[in-house]
Amino acid sequence: MINIPKKPAPTYLITLGIPAALLFTIFSFRRIGFNLQDFRDNLANRAIVTDPLFNPKWQWAWENTADALLETVQIAILASIVGCAVALPLAFYASRATNLNKYSYFLYKSFLNLVRTIPDLFWAMLFTVAVGIGPFAGVLALIMFSLAIMGKLLSETIDSIDPGPMEAAKATGSSHNQSVFTSALPQVLPNYTAYFLYIFELCIRASVILGLVGAGGVGRIIETQRIFLRFDRISPIIVIILVVVILIEQFSVWIRRRII
Amino acid sequence: MKIPQQPLSQRILKYSLTTLIIIGSLWSAAGLEITLERILDAPRQIGILVGAMFPLDLSQEAFDRIIPKVFESLFIAWAGTVIGAIFSFPVSFLAAQNVALGMISRVTKQVLNAIRAFPELILAFVFLPITGLGPFTGTLAVGIHSIGTLGKLSSEVIEGIDEGPLEAIKSSGGSKLNELSFGVIPQVMPTITSYWLYRFEINLRASAVLGVVGAGGVGQELINQLRFRDFPRAGTVLICTIILVLTADTISAAIRNRIIKGKVVKS
Repeated sequence: MINIPKKPAPTYLITLGIPAALLFTIFSFRRIGFNLQDFRDNLANRAIVTDPLFNPKWQWAWENTADALLETVQIAILASIVGCAVALPLAFYASRATNLNKYSYFLYKSFLNLVRTIPDLFWAMLFTVAVGIGPFAGVLALIMFSLAIMGKLLSETIDSIDPGPMEAAKATGSSHNQSVFTSALPQVLPNYTAYFLYIFELCIRASVILGLVGAGGVGRIIETQRIFLRFDRISPIIVIILVVVILIEQFSVWIRRRII
Repeated sequence: MKIPQQPLSQRILKYSLTTLIIIGSLWSAAGLEITLERILDAPRQIGILVGAMFPLDLSQEAFDRIIPKVFESLFIAWAGTVIGAIFSFPVSFLAAQNVALGMISRVTKQVLNAIRAFPELILAFVFLPITGLGPFTGTLAVGIHSIGTLGKLSSEVIEGIDEGPLEAIKSSGGSKLNELSFGVIPQVMPTITSYWLYRFEINLRASAVLGVVGAGGVGQELINQLRFRDFPRAGTVLICTIILVLTADTISAAIRNRIIKGKVVKS
């Protein structure tokens, strides 16, 4: 007879968590008003969307989107560069490895977390009200967006750096700031570049929809056509955006491979 | 003392990248007509907006309107994540190279990439005329986008498993199905569950935004208050959203930590 070890008793997470998750799921589906009958009835109306959606007006899209698309790319470039540049010092203050002051560490960390909770389009709405409709609001919104992501990613990377080089720098008589500059910064620079390219890709994707709230870019054109249900004009725009996004991503992947 | 230099090719790459970044940002700023004047004036304008939000609108009527909308976003995010999880789970096995045949895996991966390429907001307004204004449309958009992202992440988890247990099951006479249920699933389940929770955190932010096109959630409330220039109430909407997202993030992150790192044993 083989002694088979007994299966450990299920933890609270399983005995309570799974039923709770199931109940919450049922409750959520009820609250969002899912109704199969209505869904079937409404599906009969799909021709309103699908007919124009699959009859794209390429000519129109080519003539009208080029400028806005360029604007989208420019918003993403500027916002990701500025956002990541601002995030670089913040990340060092928001990491326990490089910020010795417990209170200021907590303050910077909380600030980054707070910025991260507000979705990109909320920033865009707020900035369009503050500085007026146009691409400048979009740039500011995406700066906050990339600042938050870079701050989180980079500060966590700094948390896990090798403390050896910093100690070595301190042993040769350098101050704390000098040791951060000469020993911590070079360790995370390759990660920083990789994150920057990743955030640039995210910004390109995010900047497409900024125009829906008036923050510039190609979304502006989508929004005006959306209101008139001109899906025949929207579908080629979406396809063009996809191609541009994929091309830019390929370029960024190519650079990332060269660097790392 | 001689300090070794960086190799020439690396230095060229470094300098050309720096130039590219400087030229790129100047070109963009010029194209978007962002002048120094506007940049310097922006903090003042933002200050005016923030000042207009305080004191916040804490009346009973405001909360009666805002709180249900905030929770609607939560429900959209959760239901969307559940849809994404249920559908992406079987699909991720089809997309994994080490489980499915080469052809099937490649085709499934391309389909997932295509789904992932459409932002939730665009899906939402395409569905809107069919499924109507309301949270159901938002859920559908969030769910479908999640299928793409979760499918990709889960299939990568499956591709990274340890093949040892599979061989053990095969050598003791187990079928292909046994291999999946006793070899693959126990290995991948913790990571995949934590990805589901992580996706829920992302979906919460996405569902908050969906109201902009009328697909339910708190975004509708924010854009309306900003349009009507009711800044104190807009501030309340913003604060309520922040509280919801922070709470959900904290709970979800704690559960993810527990799943991945296991039970903390007190010594």
